[in-house]
Parts: sequence; structure tokens; C-alpha cells
Amino acid sequence: MSITLAPKRRGSGLGLAMPAILLLLAFFVVPVALLLLRSVTEPEPGLHNYRTLIGSATYAKVFFNTFFVAGVVTLVTVLVAFPVAWALAIMPQRWASVIFAVILLSMWTNLLARTYAWMVLLQQTGLINRSLMALGIIDQPLQLTNNLIGVTIGMVYIMLPFMILPLLGVIRKIDPAILQAAALCGASKGQALFRVLLPLAAPGIASGGLMVFVMSLGYFVTPALLGGTANMMLAEMIAQQVQSLVNWGMGGAAAFILLIVTLGLYAVQLRFFEPKPEVR
Amino acid sequence: MTTPYLHINGIRKVFGEVVATDHVELSIAEGEFMTFLGPSGSGKSTTLYILAGFQDPSAGDITIRGKSILSTPSHKRNIGMVFQRYTLFPHLSVGENVAFPLRVRRMGKSEVDARVKRALKLVRLEGFEDRMPAKMSGGQQQRVALARALVYDPPVLLMDEPLSALDKKLREEIQFEIRRIHQETGVTILYVTHDQEEALRLSDRIAIFNKGKIEQVGTGPELYANPATHFVADFIGDSAFLAGELASVSGERAALRFADGTTVAAVPLHGSGRAGQAAELMLRPERIELATEPGPEGASLPVTVEDMTFLGNNTTLAARTPWGAALSVRLNFGHPLAANVARGDRLHIRWSPEAAHAFVRG
Amino acid sequence: MLLDFHKLGAWKWLLSGICALMTLFLLMPILFIIALSFGDSRWLIFPPPGWTLKWYEELFADPRWIGAALTSAKIATIVMVLSVALGLLVSLALVRGKFRGRAVLRAFFLTPMVLPVIIVAVALYAAFLRLGLNGTLVGFVIAHLIVALPFSVITISGALETFDPAIEDAAILCGASPWEARFRVTLPAISHGLFSAAIFSFLISWDEVVLAIFMASPGLQTLPVKVWTTLRQDLTPVIAAASTLLVVLTVLLMIVAALIRKGKSR
Repeated sequence: MSITLAPKRRGSGLGLAMPAILLLLAFFVVPVALLLLRSVTEPEPGLHNYRTLIGSATYAKVFFNTFFVAGVVTLVTVLVAFPVAWALAIMPQRWASVIFAVILLSMWTNLLARTYAWMVLLQQTGLINRSLMALGIIDQPLQLTNNLIGVTIGMVYIMLPFMILPLLGVIRKIDPAILQAAALCGASKGQALFRVLLPLAAPGIASGGLMVFVMSLGYFVTPALLGGTANMMLAEMIAQQVQSLVNWGMGGAAAFILLIVTLGLYAVQLRFFEPKPEVR
Repeated sequence: MTTPYLHINGIRKVFGEVVATDHVELSIAEGEFMTFLGPSGSGKSTTLYILAGFQDPSAGDITIRGKSILSTPSHKRNIGMVFQRYTLFPHLSVGENVAFPLRVRRMGKSEVDARVKRALKLVRLEGFEDRMPAKMSGGQQQRVALARALVYDPPVLLMDEPLSALDKKLREEIQFEIRRIHQETGVTILYVTHDQEEALRLSDRIAIFNKGKIEQVGTGPELYANPATHFVADFIGDSAFLAGELASVSGERAALRFADGTTVAAVPLHGSGRAGQAAELMLRPERIELATEPGPEGASLPVTVEDMTFLGNNTTLAARTPWGAALSVRLNFGHPLAANVARGDRLHIRWSPEAAHAFVRG
Repeated sequence: MLLDFHKLGAWKWLLSGICALMTLFLLMPILFIIALSFGDSRWLIFPPPGWTLKWYEELFADPRWIGAALTSAKIATIVMVLSVALGLLVSLALVRGKFRGRAVLRAFFLTPMVLPVIIVAVALYAAFLRLGLNGTLVGFVIAHLIVALPFSVITISGALETFDPAIEDAAILCGASPWEARFRVTLPAISHGLFSAAIFSFLISWDEVVLAIFMASPGLQTLPVKVWTTLRQDLTPVIAAASTLLVVLTVLLMIVAALIRKGKSR
């Protein structure tokens, strides 16, 4: 049937995608290309924007902040997400679905609402500082916002679901009989964890971690609100160059570096780990 | 009697409302090959999992040399196991899989190498050390699993339907290997299967499981010749059952009467019963003889031939008793009747008195 | 047996403890802003000295908040419709099409999701400055459509992949024209995918901050832009009230999405 119907009905199908292709070309590909072009043409042709970016201590600090925060966020996220995903995969269904609902709720709650909550919680007179003082752990309120501590807490909060969900998928696919075999072979719980469960979950940890790292590198809202101007990160710097300083050359150059790093890390992801369908 | 080597003492396991095993009682000798045979859900795997420590029994005890093992966690039980599914560690090579039990026991390198080599030789996979499990066939993977389970010389080896995922020819090949390894190592093996042929081929003794209970324990020939219950008779070998009632009972023997009043005499009776109780006559088809005349001592029944099927080494007849029960009878190739039996012929089936069994129906 | 919850022994409590703490960590900020929105302390003291609805009154009395919310709703609705329509066409091409390079085209449609939004935002900002689209409804819609479309494509092509085209062929053999078959047979069969795509697209546009900051003008701003500019001045509890309403909306949409998923599995 499909032999007779297919050529007439389906054609090539490319035409159907044309409106969307044109939309993306006009308002995504061309604008991004033009922006990158401005990095080597403004204010005059040449690579001087990149030289400034790499040469100056101010921008070096921005790059350091960006990679440092992304690294810490990834590390903390992995350390929390692994036990959580592990527990979610095996705990009684009732509890797992409650925790799962909370994860989805936090993931879908408005980003600004979540960041606002952390700004209030972490401020000098906020709940966290007052609780710690009431418990006698500290005498003076800690500076938790307008620095990288605040950014890290806020970002871990946002990235956790993106680490837990893929890890959960990986752990659910491991056959429990393999862990039973490890136990009968004489492996204690610790030995089974480090010699069997962790190595089997490693691809998921690496691929989820890479995803969180890449997303953290280009994040704008949370660093801007919780980090303050003294602790700028890359995305914020791009915005500042373009909006406040109207320096399109520098903005374009920084954007190009971010683009290359992002695409490079995604290429690693695609090369070494199977592409996974989005978990939403 | 002296303390048995391994004793399963009244094990009962309840999952919610479901009783998985109910008062399982069994003694196993050192070096014995014991098979748990039964349909799925009969409690044989549950019993094995309790032995392995994957599940805790609701009641009962398991002892090895008189000492309870139930409070020992799985990883300290020093028991080997081969699973139904492939459970090799996918991230480790064959050599590292077999070395795993030795590494977690912190054994020295030269000792590990020597033992891995010996274990792989035992399962005839020398030289496969560097292969990854995913690159091996199912049969090879199960042999590696066997090497991994034996490399630390456990006194007891558990096997949970290890060959059920393999095709028939490969299965027979590995069954042969398992027998050889059992003889070479002298390890005590507890083997779970639902395949009666596999059980008969491998085991010293077989425990027949049904609905969470052991129906009968014995060697293959014992179970075949003397099934204690209808279930065992049905599960081991082919058999025909003819329903009727007990006409009279004298000691271990009984006479049965069928619906139309036909009787057979002096059949060995299993279980106690009295005249008038519902019962059934069990016959093995290969021990039934077809003849034109009834046999002596009432060990025969008249039948009418309904259909014949030639199957090469035998001709199988579909026959019917006077009261309408269906029965199949085999005539070996070359049997004088085979050539000239016809539909509608009235003949007699005969058997030696010891070949029939009567079971009282619960 | 690390994958048998009941055989974990003491580790069971360790894992449960970590889970409980993490759940608390995820839930606390959300519950906290809901509580603050009803507290009567302008300085966001917790626990609040008393309870009040005045922040909600202030929110609803301010025409700029209402205006921003209406703008957001308008933009999100238009983006939702366009994103589902374009997403459906793209998915039909990707799943049913017979041309070469479909994998490449698929990757192309997913890139706006992969790239940091800041790059898209700055690039579009530059383009719109030249085209005069900054601060216009059209500008907002285009920007949001670019980032919403990948989710639409993923969801709808996922639904389309599980639908057997032979059923469409059967409808054609019964006398339906090819387009009639698509409308009467295929669309209803993948309706759950279309609904999910619609909800995702709406939420993405409704919640989008980074693009919106660059597209906004004093005359036209979305709700997130209004929250953003207010946040940069001070942490007024009015934002807590606005955030609470956003959480309520999220929960409602999550319930709708769950019901759709349930309807699909039935």
C-alpha cells in the first residue's frame, strides 16, 4: 500500500519545514553570524578584541569566575544528584513520586521567582543568617549574596533537576541482579558501590555533568542577581559590553568564545555519550 | 542420623498475602548435586534467594554444618551463584570479572592470576581474559559467570536457571560441562530449573516443588518409577491418568472401578484411601502393551482405536476406553500390530502390575 | 544488593536522609515566598509579625503589573500557536520526509535550545535595532518563538514517531484525501503531543527573562521584565505576591500536563 501511495502523497517533505527554516535563518543564523563578524570588524578590522579579552586581568577574572563557578556547581550537583537518583530508582513508588513531583515543581517554577526567594533567604537579615545566629553558629551575619557563594547556591538549586533526571534514567537501567552477583562474590556495600555501581553509572554522571557545566557557563540571570557587579561572569559581561558600554566588538568576541566552548563541549558529549531524549 | 551438611529447616516466605514457600524442609549432603524442579511460581527460586541472602525468610532456618547462615549478609556467606540473566560486570573484562571475588578479598596479585587462569581453564575459556562481556555469546558469558562463581572455591554453588536463555543445543553442551565441573571440583550444587530433562540429566537428587511446597525428593529413577503424588507423576515423564474410584483397598494395593463398572485389580496405591473414594489410575505410555487378549490379574483394559499417527520410531494410537476416556498408546516400529491395526479395532492394553499407580484424589 | 531498597541496611537511612534534605532544599524557597507574600513585613522578616493581603492589593492596583501580565499572556499565546503550527510542519518533514540530511536538519532545529540564550539575545538585539523591531510585539514573538520551537519539535516529532503511517494510508484507502486523512486521523492521534508542545511553548515564553530584557522598551514589557527591573531596585514583597501567582500557574499547568499524559496512557 505504502508503495503506491507514498510517492504521490509524501513527496520529499522538505517544503513543510521551509517556513521554520527561513525563520531560523533570518532571526537566528544570520544575526548570530553578524554578531560574530562584528567581533573582528569593530571598531576596526583585526583580532584586537580577542587580544584584549585574553590579555587583560579584568577579563581573566571574568573567565576564572565563570569556569570556577560552573565547575563547583557541577561538582556539588553531581554529589547531591547521585544519591538522590539512586534512592529514587529503588525507593517505594509512593515516596519516589512525591519527591519526583517536587523536582518537577521546582524545575518549572518561574526562574525569577526562585532567584528572588534565594535573594531574600540569603540576604544579611535573611532567614539563613538569622537561623545560624540564633543557633549560635555565627556571631556576625555572613555575606551570602553579591558574591560567588550566592551564585553557586542559586545555580545548584536550578541545575539539580537537570542532573537528577538523566542519572535516574541511567540507574534504572542497571539490572539489580548484577549488584546481587557482586554481593555474593564477596563485595561489601562499599566495594560494590565503588567497583560496580559507580562505574556503571559513570557514563550518566559524565554526560549529565557535562550538560550542567555547559548550561552553567552561559547562565545570565542568577549570576546577575545574586553575584553583584564585582563578581561578573561571562554572560553578564557580554550583556554589559553590548548594553552599557555599546562595545559590540568586545561583546561579539566574548560571545564567540562562549559559543565555541559550548559547541565544543556538546561535541564531546555527542561523541562519547549516546544522545539522550530530553527529560521533561 | 548425623547432622546433614546443608539443612533447610521449615523455610516459609510470605509476600504480603502470597505464600511463596511454605515449610520447605530438605537436607543436602556435601558434594551432592541437588536440583529444585518445578513450574514457575512454585517457590524454588525463592528458596534459592533465601539461601543467597537476597531475601529473608518469614520463618525457619538454614544451616551449613549445623550453623545457621541467616544472620550472615550475602557478601560474607562465601556462596557462589550463577544467575538466570547475564550478570557479568559489563565494564570489566572477562579476566577482571573472574578476578573480582579475589580482589574484594584482597588477594595477592600472583595468587589472583593463577586462580583466574585455573578457573577459566575449568570452563574452557583460556585466553579470553581481555575480552569484554558484551563481545561474547550468551553461552560464553554463562561460562564466565560459572568461573567467577567458582574462583574463590565456595563450598556451595547456587544456579538459578542458568541455561534458560540459551538454545537447546548449546544448553546440552553446557549441561555436560556442568556435570564435568561438578565431578572435578566436588562442590555442592543447588540447581533450579523448570526443565525436567535438564534435572534428570544433571542431578544426584531432585526436589519437586509445587505451590511453595516440596512434593517429593529422590533420584531421577525413584521419582519416575515411584511418584508419590499425581503432580510428580505428571511433571516427570509422560503419563496417562484415568479417573475412577477405589473399589477395594488391601494394604498397599487397591482395585479401581471406572464409570461403566470396569475394574482393574492390585494396583500399588499412594496415600491412604478407602473404598468409594475418588481415585485415578496412572500409566506410563511406554510401559503399556497392546494386545488382542486381556492380560492376567486384571492388569488390563479394553480400548477402541480411534486414530493412528506414524512418528518414525513409533506409531502413536489415540484410543478410547469403554466409558469414553481418551488414552494414547505407543507401538514401537516393527511391532507386529503396528502394520495392521485399523480405526475401530477393539483391543486390550496390558501392563505389569508394578507399572501402574493409583492416586487418591484430594 | 545496592539496588534493593530493603537490603540496604543503614545505607537506606543515609540515602533517605539525603533525599529528604534535597526535597526540603528544593521546596523551601517556593514555600518561603508563598508565606512572605502574605506576611505584613515590608522588610521580609520571617516568620512575619502578622498576615495581610496588601501586597496582592498593591499588585492588582498597579496598572504596570497588570499591563505587563497582559502583554506576557498575549505574547505567550501567539508564540504557543505559532510554535505548535511550525513545530507540526517541521515534525512532519523530519519524521515522514524522504529527503537527505534529515539528521542535520533536526540538529539545526535544536541548536537554539543548546546555545546560551545570552548569545541569541545579544544577536537578536543587534538585528532588531537595525530593523526597528525592538520594543515591539513582533520582536518579542520572534525572539520567544526561536527558543520555544525546539521543544515543540522534540515533543511533536516524538508523538509522530510512535504513530504508524499505515493507519493514515488506511484512511486514504477508505476514500479520504491525503490532507483530510492527516486532519481526521493523524492529528487526533498525536493530540497529546500537540497539547504538551502548546503547554511547553506557552510556559517558555511566559517565563522567558533574558531575551525579554533585551527586547523590552519602557512602553512594552513582559511580566518577567517587570519583575527583573523591580528586583534590581529593591526586594519588595509585591514580587513575592507576583511570584506566588506564578507558582500557582505552574502547578495548574503541571496538573494539566499530567492529565494529558494520563489520557495518553489510557
